[in-house]
Amino acid sequence: MAQVFQVIGTRPIRHDGLDKVTGRAQYGADIQLSGMLHGRVLRSSHAHARIKSIDASAALKVPGVEAVATAADLPESGDRIAHLGEGAVNLRHLSSNCLARGKVHYKGQAVAALAATNPHIAEEALALIKVDYEPLPPVMDVREAMKDSAPKLHADVFTEEMGQLKKDKPSNVAKHFQFKLGDVHKGFAQAAVTVEREFHTATVHQGYIEPHNATAMFNPDGNVTIWCSTQGAFTVRAQVSELLQIPVSRIKVVPLEIGGGFGGKIRVYLEPVAAVLSKKTGKPVKILMDRAAVFEGTGPTPGSYIRVKLGADKTGKLVAGEAYLAYEAGAFPGSPIGPGAMCIFACYDIPNVLIDGFDVCVNKPATAAYRAPGATNAAFASETVVDEICRQLKIDPLEFRLKNGAKEGTRRADGPIYPRIGMIETVEAAKKHPHYVAPLAPGSSPFPRGRGVASGFWFNIGLKSSVTASVNNDGTVSLVEGSTDIGGTRVSVAMQLAEALGIRAEDVRPVVADTDSVGYTDVTGGSRVTYATGWAAYEAAQDIKWQMLEKAAQLWKTDLDNVVYDKGVIRAKDDPAKKITFKELAEKIQHKGGIVVGRATVDPPWPGGAFATHIVDVEVDPDTGKVSILRYTAVQDCGKAIHPSYVEGQIQGGAVQGIGWALNEEYAYNAKGEMTNASFLDYRMPTSLDLPMIDAVIVEVPDPKHPYGVRGVGEVPIVPPPAAIANAIYAAVGVRMNELPMSPGRVVKALAAKK
Amino acid sequence: MKNFTYFRPTTPEQAVALLENRWGNTELLAGGTDLHDLQKEYVAQPARVVSLSGVNALAGIRVEEKSVRIGAGAKLADIANHAELKRLFPSLTDAADQIGGPQIRNMGTLGGNLCQRNRCWYFRDEHTNCLLKTGQRCFALDGENKYHAIFSQGHRCVIVNPSTLAPALIALGASAVVQGPNGRRTIELGRFFRAPGANNEREHVLEANDMVVEVTIPRSNLANASYEVRHKQAYDWPLVQAAVSFERGDGGVRNPRVVLGHVAPTPHVAEAAARSITGQAVSEATAGAAGRAAAQDAKPLSQNGYKVKLVEVAVKRALIIAAGQKRYWEV
Amino acid sequence: MSDTKETTGLSRRQFLKGSGAAAAATALGTAAAPGALAAQAPAAQPVPGMGPAGVKITLQVNGRKMSSTVEPRVTLLDALRNYLDVTGCKRVCDRGTCGACTVLLDNKPVYACSMLALEAQGKEIRTAESLVQGAKLDAVPAAFVRFDAQQCGFCTPGFVVAMKAVLEQNPKATPAEVEKGLAGNICRCGTYEQMRDAIYSLCNTKRGS
Repeated sequence: MAQVFQVIGTRPIRHDGLDKVTGRAQYGADIQLSGMLHGRVLRSSHAHARIKSIDASAALKVPGVEAVATAADLPESGDRIAHLGEGAVNLRHLSSNCLARGKVHYKGQAVAALAATNPHIAEEALALIKVDYEPLPPVMDVREAMKDSAPKLHADVFTEEMGQLKKDKPSNVAKHFQFKLGDVHKGFAQAAVTVEREFHTATVHQGYIEPHNATAMFNPDGNVTIWCSTQGAFTVRAQVSELLQIPVSRIKVVPLEIGGGFGGKIRVYLEPVAAVLSKKTGKPVKILMDRAAVFEGTGPTPGSYIRVKLGADKTGKLVAGEAYLAYEAGAFPGSPIGPGAMCIFACYDIPNVLIDGFDVCVNKPATAAYRAPGATNAAFASETVVDEICRQLKIDPLEFRLKNGAKEGTRRADGPIYPRIGMIETVEAAKKHPHYVAPLAPGSSPFPRGRGVASGFWFNIGLKSSVTASVNNDGTVSLVEGSTDIGGTRVSVAMQLAEALGIRAEDVRPVVADTDSVGYTDVTGGSRVTYATGWAAYEAAQDIKWQMLEKAAQLWKTDLDNVVYDKGVIRAKDDPAKKITFKELAEKIQHKGGIVVGRATVDPPWPGGAFATHIVDVEVDPDTGKVSILRYTAVQDCGKAIHPSYVEGQIQGGAVQGIGWALNEEYAYNAKGEMTNASFLDYRMPTSLDLPMIDAVIVEVPDPKHPYGVRGVGEVPIVPPPAAIANAIYAAVGVRMNELPMSPGRVVKALAAKK
Repeated sequence: MKNFTYFRPTTPEQAVALLENRWGNTELLAGGTDLHDLQKEYVAQPARVVSLSGVNALAGIRVEEKSVRIGAGAKLADIANHAELKRLFPSLTDAADQIGGPQIRNMGTLGGNLCQRNRCWYFRDEHTNCLLKTGQRCFALDGENKYHAIFSQGHRCVIVNPSTLAPALIALGASAVVQGPNGRRTIELGRFFRAPGANNEREHVLEANDMVVEVTIPRSNLANASYEVRHKQAYDWPLVQAAVSFERGDGGVRNPRVVLGHVAPTPHVAEAAARSITGQAVSEATAGAAGRAAAQDAKPLSQNGYKVKLVEVAVKRALIIAAGQKRYWEV
Repeated sequence: MSDTKETTGLSRRQFLKGSGAAAAATALGTAAAPGALAAQAPAAQPVPGMGPAGVKITLQVNGRKMSSTVEPRVTLLDALRNYLDVTGCKRVCDRGTCGACTVLLDNKPVYACSMLALEAQGKEIRTAESLVQGAKLDAVPAAFVRFDAQQCGFCTPGFVVAMKAVLEQNPKATPAEVEKGLAGNICRCGTYEQMRDAIYSLCNTKRGS
């Protein structure tokens, strides 16, 4: 039965709106502390080299330079695995990624850092740190790196082959695993149509606008405070604790406003370095990254090689699917190959599946999460092959998805059986949408136009969240949460508390707190904040309600079971005259009855997952290869839209990034393994004028487990765009683009090859 | 950025007097949009910076009876938005209007646009010691060269000249007035650029103690247009640019000039294209033939073969715009 | 791999006497020959140089005169943020490519990262902070709030200033003209749809019409 809501589904103004538009909001770079030093990081100029020695003596003689840090200042971490909220990481690798130990594995890797009295001195003195490198040949491409003859990044990385570590010889392939369902050979034997294709995708960056930053103040008493831009203050605390071998209780992480993250601000880069420099100097140290360092030194998302084979019978039913995915982990093992392999066929019910996944080290920055990590690469491949099957069978691509789409009870190749999900509903909504109903009209130019569709899946995650909620005597509630707010989650969390209490969203004052001021909360990632932290807010509201009922019962000198809470009003069951609003009671208890503070901590079950289906119309200029997007519609199941504007914003934002990935963005490397386009100008992120209007269509198939039916929304919208655009290009000009990005040069080349 | 001593002269003569007879130690600062980037990358490390912000004589656009005179200090936005210039020389104003975004156009100047350094990523990398620094070879020649020259015959360095105003101005027959230590001289813009090959050479023929003070364009009724093929709609460099001008006559196009940008170390005059369209009425067929003629001598590098096709397209479309015909490619 | 030989991997930076790391650079013998300045400089020179040591500057920022001492190399952006505590303009690319540092300089939008603080003297500088006076919020940032044309908010002050510039110069600008004025700014969260809503509202035009 559908719930009736008062707050949920409305669009209140965000609490932090004014501060952000007028530039008042405090971000990490805005921090100024008395006596603060400025740190800079020296980065490797080689893609692959042994560090023979580091001599900082000249830099240390520069007046104003107060300390230099290298890997020697970090404790040896050993091969321990730490869980960071969204993925696990080997601490020795994480440490070496903060300050390289022994070797550098990519150009831009941090090698040393120094702190000085002003940023100019720091920058100039940095050039005086002498690093003696023994250059080694780099390997930049995933398939090259898989060869036995390839240069090896690590002497101590061995292939984990189907769960067994093959310790005979080091390898760049850190992991090979399989997911199996049914029998693919039998499956393909039943197929009337089989299509097998290869795909390549370029390394791309999350591209958050705010560069990484960290300010640390290490006090003589052994306590350290860190101000930074992060998706998870507690994961920063955990990483710094592990890397510097300090108890978590000695570390306070203060998350400031965060200027975008998209998965890239979970792992630490600067925080431990600033802490070490602060410890050495006894002064606060602030380090800001510049844009080139963000591109060259922080996690992009992997380039990949993918092969997909799909078979369908003559009725259009998928009978078998095979996939081979090799993802570039970058410098250290840990690409999102796992989720990529799980997602590749996740939209479909396929009885026979075999998926091979490979995690491969190459001399690029260690990859980090980026919005549905691994899924976009995979969907580009699988959704293109699906489109080819539809064409061969002459089946409408949405009909095909209705026939084959995953639904409750479908088993995914990696094991799980879906609970209630909304894949089919997104397809139905797309099919009914005026965009799809209307035929693609020719334009004023003679150039070919085409329409493409693609679907996508992302799991979303649960994980832990804590909140406290204090009732103020004016009837408002101060909500303290640990989830940093990247895109408006203060509001979507506050709204769930308000709904549960029957008060206005504006009467909840959300605050994102530091690690000493709120209970443990996992990262803002995995599309989990509105789902899990919102759930915690709901539970805290129940705690408040319970306490308010107690207060009312005391006030009226009646039994607790004689009072009820109904949409912000407390009543006595036996006396209609006895009723008091939340606000009135809040004021009363200030004087008599005691203060009410609600609290909750949740570790909810993993959610049912999110699906999206996108429709795009393009026009291709066959002379220049330029692809123009004419119209874009993104349909997505969000369970229940708490704040529909923010749901739409996430859908549009994900689609925008997916469009950039599809058409523009890539890391260009030269033969030495140096990124040649580490600037916004050369990396070509889309601007407003490059982007069409994106119509976000919300479908609501509530997650039955969540109190309000919420599903995460932030990640899945980046998954379909590259495939949808590739399919539209095919519809327009009859060439299959199998490489990202689909830049003008590549399109021209593909068109020429067709002729 | 390395620190420097800053000078703010008020006349061109003072400015030139502050320059040196060798490159590198002293740099002229106009809009700053290029110089400061190079300084931040330590590719430029001047000890002295001579700002032109106080030289009022460099500003201003004057439309006179025989010529149009544009001060070297005129902002790109002023050129792009100048009503009379738009009417006379849309090739120039369109090219100016497509540079960067509004902020760049409010900062960048005509003189800076003509004298800016090239965008080669090897040149702009602090750690790469290429020909234009003190190195011995061009890394783009057999390296990452997808945005490099396709007409680089005889040149050791395969950059493309980055100016998009230059092809338009050359096609319009413009000249630069240059102030040197011994007075002023005029250089046709068609002879203003050169392919640099060493650290003591720039993308133009000026001496280190010269500066552009003005560009003059003869007034005419030339049909003219500039067309850029770009990857992004906004804030992007052209992959290829073509600027054209011609006289309209009863017997078709007369005295055409076709100048390509972003295909060679200098703006590239495509004489074969001009010959091809001479005496023809502009149509998709004749303009297309001119485009093919423009591309015929191209010698692409390993990664930029796609540009050959783009040259054909850019020339064809520039001719069609200049002839006032329907822009068939617009969505 | 033939590239490897000619590139040293070492910095080619020079040091200048009188710069921030001045004394040290000299002590280390890494400074450019002092003669470079004296010997090469032209003889008669009526124009005085400023710096390389700190120079006193006065900037007119958001209606107030603000003074500080900065080296010539300090950009307007760094002067505003680090010396004058005006932090609404953000340092994102520091190369004039993203628009987060956009300020109005004599009413025109410019990149504060790509000009020297010295060059901004005598000009009126306005940042996003100037668009709220007491309790009164200017129509442009108000529209950003109303239509929630932001997610992370980091690029937002730059977009607000760029949009303000267009509408101030031409109050009758069309939505397309206003959007063209945003070509020099990047929003990675992709809130362009909401910005378009804000633009249409500011232009008193109905979207889709």
